[in-house]
Amino acid sequence: MYDHAFAQLSGFHCSAKRSEWSCRGAQALECIWPLKQRFIQGCASARSCFPKSCWAPFHCRMLRNALGKTFRFLGYTVQYGCIAHCAFEYLGGIVVCSGPSMEPTIQNSDVVFSENLSRHFYCIRKGDIVIVKSPNDPKSNICKRVIGLEGDKVCTSNPSDFLKSHSYVPKGHVWLEGDNLRNSTDSRCYGPVPYGLIRGRICLKIWPLNDFGFLRASPNGHRFLDD
Amino acid sequence: RKASTSITSEPVLVAHWLLKKTHSAQSPRNPEQKIIKRVIALEGDIIKTIGYKKKYVKVPHGHIWVEGDHHGHSFDSNAFGPVSLGLLHARATHILWPPQRWQKLQPMLPPERKPLRREQE
Repeated sequence: MYDHAFAQLSGFHCSAKRSEWSCRGAQALECIWPLKQRFIQGCASARSCFPKSCWAPFHCRMLRNALGKTFRFLGYTVQYGCIAHCAFEYLGGIVVCSGPSMEPTIQNSDVVFSENLSRHFYCIRKGDIVIVKSPNDPKSNICKRVIGLEGDKVCTSNPSDFLKSHSYVPKGHVWLEGDNLRNSTDSRCYGPVPYGLIRGRICLKIWPLNDFGFLRASPNGHRFLDD
Repeated sequence: RKASTSITSEPVLVAHWLLKKTHSAQSPRNPEQKIIKRVIALEGDIIKTIGYKKKYVKVPHGHIWVEGDHHGHSFDSNAFGPVSLGLLHARATHILWPPQRWQKLQPMLPPERKPLRREQE
């Protein structure tokens, strides 16, 4: 008995609620409707008030606005493009390395930061890791460690070779070697590389995060010959 | 494939004035200096050299052979060997200064400097 009554009560409650909702919806509609009507009326009145000749300059202004916006946008694009170009050319950028030739220092697909200022000021020293345009393929870049600068004596033979051969780096060139001496195509293969091919010096490792910071010294320190 | 890309050899002082769209290369010996030369051979060509350590040279992959027009008085590939393409900067098209010599630079190859064998593609 009670149950039934309760059900009835709840049912009633529900219906009441629904009706309330519907009421609100209707109110909302009523709210919107006059606005819309008012807007249409307003438009019509505006059109009737202003003669057609007044509409033409309005169009012109809109066109001018649009053109101005486009030109401003183009100007900003050019400006920021120039800034970005200068930054990438003279300051440095973020480089993703790939390949096994620098293995203990830089792993495959590490992200590093390279700075180009030291190339422009000619302050690249022995032991720096540099990004160089490949001497055989100008479209690709390689990443190697500077073993010798111009006038230095370098060991040109592989570490496994029995006979060691030495030579001097010619003027305006650098001697590059990968840290992974067994699996690296470097100056031992194509000889000294002109300084003009150097693009930048790698100074920071960014990714992976647990290895963030400056790069480690060369694992083959014996390749540096001091004389 | 074009036989000879024009690289002019004007005196370098003039070259700095005539840089409109020049084909000049960074010197392999001195990176601070730019030189302006004529391309004689492209990669894969065999060239007879003048006073280089080897008499015949096959230009390696990714390199070019450049020479000045004034043979014997030019510091060019006969002194430092083939030049890497990555050192190339621009192509010289016009002489702008002095004005009485204002002209377009023609890509031409001296007949006696033709490569002995051209790479077939």
